[in-house]
Amino acid sequence: MGKILIINGSPRAPKSNSKQYAALFSKACSWESHYRDLTRANHLELCQAADEVSDVLFVFPLYADGIPVTLLNFLKTWEEYGSRQKPTVSVLINCGFLEAEQNNVAVKMMELYCRENGLPFGSVLKIGGGEAILSTPFRILVQAKIKKLARAIVRQENRTFQVTMPLSKKMFLNASTSYWIRYGERHGITREQMASMQIEP
Amino acid sequence: MTLIVSDRHLEVPEIQRAAIEFIDLSKLKIANCVGCFGCWTKTPGKCVIRDDAVQVYPRIAASDRLMYVSRVRYGSYDTIMKTMLERAIPVQQAFIRLHHGETHHFQRDVAPKEAIIVGYGDLSAEEQDIFRQLIARNANNMNFTQYRVVFAQEQDLEQTVRNEVLTWERS
Ligand SMILES: Cc1cc2nc3c(=O)[nH]c(=O)nc-3n(C[C@H](O)[C@H](O)[C@H](O)COP(=O)(O)O)c2cc1C
Repeated sequence: MGKILIINGSPRAPKSNSKQYAALFSKACSWESHYRDLTRANHLELCQAADEVSDVLFVFPLYADGIPVTLLNFLKTWEEYGSRQKPTVSVLINCGFLEAEQNNVAVKMMELYCRENGLPFGSVLKIGGGEAILSTPFRILVQAKIKKLARAIVRQENRTFQVTMPLSKKMFLNASTSYWIRYGERHGITREQMASMQIEP
Repeated sequence: MTLIVSDRHLEVPEIQRAAIEFIDLSKLKIANCVGCFGCWTKTPGKCVIRDDAVQVYPRIAASDRLMYVSRVRYGSYDTIMKTMLERAIPVQQAFIRLHHGETHHFQRDVAPKEAIIVGYGDLSAEEQDIFRQLIARNANNMNFTQYRVVFAQEQDLEQTVRNEVLTWERS
């Protein structure tokens, strides 16, 4: 039986969507798993922990069309450290936009990283609409795909899954607009203020 | 406004001669984005982290000719440039629109750009290909109307940038 280290590469790991995706994964996975937030201070500790497992699952958001710099920094440290165990690396990525395919480039970067570092590549789940999907009824679709990801990892398969909100683009635009208006209202900011055209006013 | 943002010092006399603004990110103090969405929902258009990045993203927004010069790692911008680009999201609104058939954010007052992206380092064909795909995605989110991706070995970087600056001067 394998053992999985789940690393949350979100810059806001303790309050992130990735944390929730990771929790769903732990619940769905029959293997023993250990969850860790990535911080600036624990790179070395995580490199060592990755030498004690068969698999590493990176859970992270898409940032500026790529891997968040928090995680890039860790990848560079891990490369320098030189993994001894060479665990299989899998990816659970989420992005804010509706199209889960917008995550493709970041996944390719992770695959390239693994190849350059002699790390076997496992399976992938790409989530679209990932900022809000867990607070919608479509949460169950995510849970189902996370189960598939967990099964693929345990079976040591190379699978790629994706999931998003099954909405037309127009409906997604409306839903996301309401989501962000409510977000602003919690800080006493109106829709008009949020739509300001000024930068550093 | 014509702008070059680089992740390292560059000795390119043409930059001084031409009306080009040059930002060397390696000399600035820029923390990483913490994903708080304050720039969209608390102080729209302004990052809550008041370090050097707040001088840079207004210049990126104002530029209509823009060059990014960055080392490439794993097909991505290396961390110096990537840190800055993540800190540049105050130039967008939270609100989402359809753009080229995909969902993308509305931009604030961001000038449409002709961009040249210079990626440097010892890069395999595959790494170059991934970097090109990244820039194609960036183009949709960063208001590039046209862009070109150019690769250089580090030792040839200054010459490459010089050549690109000359193409600007000629156009
Ligand atoms: C700096 C920054 C850049 C982002 N870039 C993108 C992007 O390029 N494409 C996208 O679909 N979502 C982007 N997002 C949205 C996040 O991927 C999305 O909100 C995600 O759910 C955050 O996950 P987390 O809570 O696990 O960090 C960005 C968010 C931030 C803060």
